[in-house]
Amino acid sequence: MRVRSLFYFLGEAVKSIARNGWMSVASIAVVAITLFILGSFMVLNYNVALFTEDIKEQVQIVLYIDDDASEEEKAELQKQLVTHNQLEEVRFVSREEAFERLKEQLGDRSYLLEGYENEAENPLRDSYELRTAVPEDVPEVGREVENFPGVGHVDYGSGVVEPLFQFTGVVRWVGLAFMGGLAVTAIFLIAHTIRLTVYIRRKEIMIMKYVGATDWFIRWPFIFEGTILGLIGAVLPLLIIYYGYQSAVEWMQSNIIFISMIPVEEVIQELLKVLLPLGVALGILGSSISVRRFLKV
Amino acid sequence: MIEMHHLYKQFGSDIMALSDINLTIDRGEFIFIVGASGAGKSTLLKLLLRELQPSRGVLKIFGRDVTRFKNRDVPYLRRNIGMVFQDFRLLSDRNVFDNIAFALRVIGASKREIRKRVPLALEMVKLKDKAFKKPDELSGGEQQRVGVARALVNRPAVVIADEPTGNLDPDTSMDIMNLLSEINIRGTTVIVATHAKELVDHFQKRVVVLENGFLISDRERGVYFNAR
Repeated sequence: MRVRSLFYFLGEAVKSIARNGWMSVASIAVVAITLFILGSFMVLNYNVALFTEDIKEQVQIVLYIDDDASEEEKAELQKQLVTHNQLEEVRFVSREEAFERLKEQLGDRSYLLEGYENEAENPLRDSYELRTAVPEDVPEVGREVENFPGVGHVDYGSGVVEPLFQFTGVVRWVGLAFMGGLAVTAIFLIAHTIRLTVYIRRKEIMIMKYVGATDWFIRWPFIFEGTILGLIGAVLPLLIIYYGYQSAVEWMQSNIIFISMIPVEEVIQELLKVLLPLGVALGILGSSISVRRFLKV
Repeated sequence: MIEMHHLYKQFGSDIMALSDINLTIDRGEFIFIVGASGAGKSTLLKLLLRELQPSRGVLKIFGRDVTRFKNRDVPYLRRNIGMVFQDFRLLSDRNVFDNIAFALRVIGASKREIRKRVPLALEMVKLKDKAFKKPDELSGGEQQRVGVARALVNRPAVVIADEPTGNLDPDTSMDIMNLLSEINIRGTTVIVATHAKELVDHFQKRVVVLENGFLISDRERGVYFNAR
């Protein structure tokens, strides 16, 4: 394809998009909505994955020692834990260590802990952090160690984490189905827009054939038109997600302290790799359908 | 340049549009193809443009057998054939210059070529002063001149005109025919399908008569021939 032809095709495609007005807008909008949903799910997915990693790295069971437990009870507890064959790791965390750790986690918000620094004011308890050899054993072992001597309270996150994963799983499937439907609609709308262009340009196409334009010379402007519609439809959700996610990250960081999120640049880089090709693919697919069916060359 | 030997074109199982056509057209000829509607004129022209394929027989254009043409070769065949239509087929959304330039643009001609050749074609049809008018600002005769210029601009070896004066009054028709004749004198082969009796008789060129798909007469310096 020669460069001057390329400019010709682009020019014709842009003219068509402008001339088709609302049909172009509708095509772009449906592509944009489809890709926006996909993009949002990808963002959610990345963050859930990060969150899961965080959790896996964290201890699986935390056992808080009863403040009133006697030294004998504490010794017995330690013995039972260390000899438990389902436990891979048993780590004692003193309340001082726990306090330091919390302070570190809070980072520049550690002023929240002011006034609790001295030994007597420390609100935290001594604890054991336990890791099972097999993650699936967590609930069982968690229930078991609750009855060990000197135990105040046992925390095993499964009660919170599992429903969360189940929920995101359901949302993901519903979203995928919805997105599939929208993608079909997007292809259909683009095909319809291109069909309209073919109709408007039928006289031009006929003359082109008579004066010896090649089939591909006739087809390209329509393919370009579809591609541009798809591309604009991909850029819009990228912009929306960029600014939306950026403010979401800022809001999360100032309101919910413990959740870490993937930085916006990293997310957009990943989305670019997926949404742009998909938008272009939807556009090419839609226009190809109409070029094949309605453009008799 | 164009050779037909025992050429047949059949539609469906029983309609024979052309039967046993034998016709040779040499470089630089001016030829009228006449006949009533349905005699087979349009089918003949469509075969020349390879819009249709012959059912039987031989059709050679520029020495090449069109039945052996691949679809992707067809555009290059058509670049050597300038087409003039009864209804002009101009694009109403662009001016005369751009209508003519369109024929060059869509075969990938450069801007320089377009700037050089379009004015030459305009000069040929004497429309230099109307280059920037839209088609609907022109008379019918002027519009057909634009049509002729568009057919010529690519310097084809053959110009085929399908009822070029069908929509024009007699004086204007004579003008257009004179123009085609002038183009012929400059070396381009011209094929005119028509049933304008007065024009055919006036010009005294070769006349081929079709009737019911048969070639019933082929005469140098002929007149419009009506068998009935």
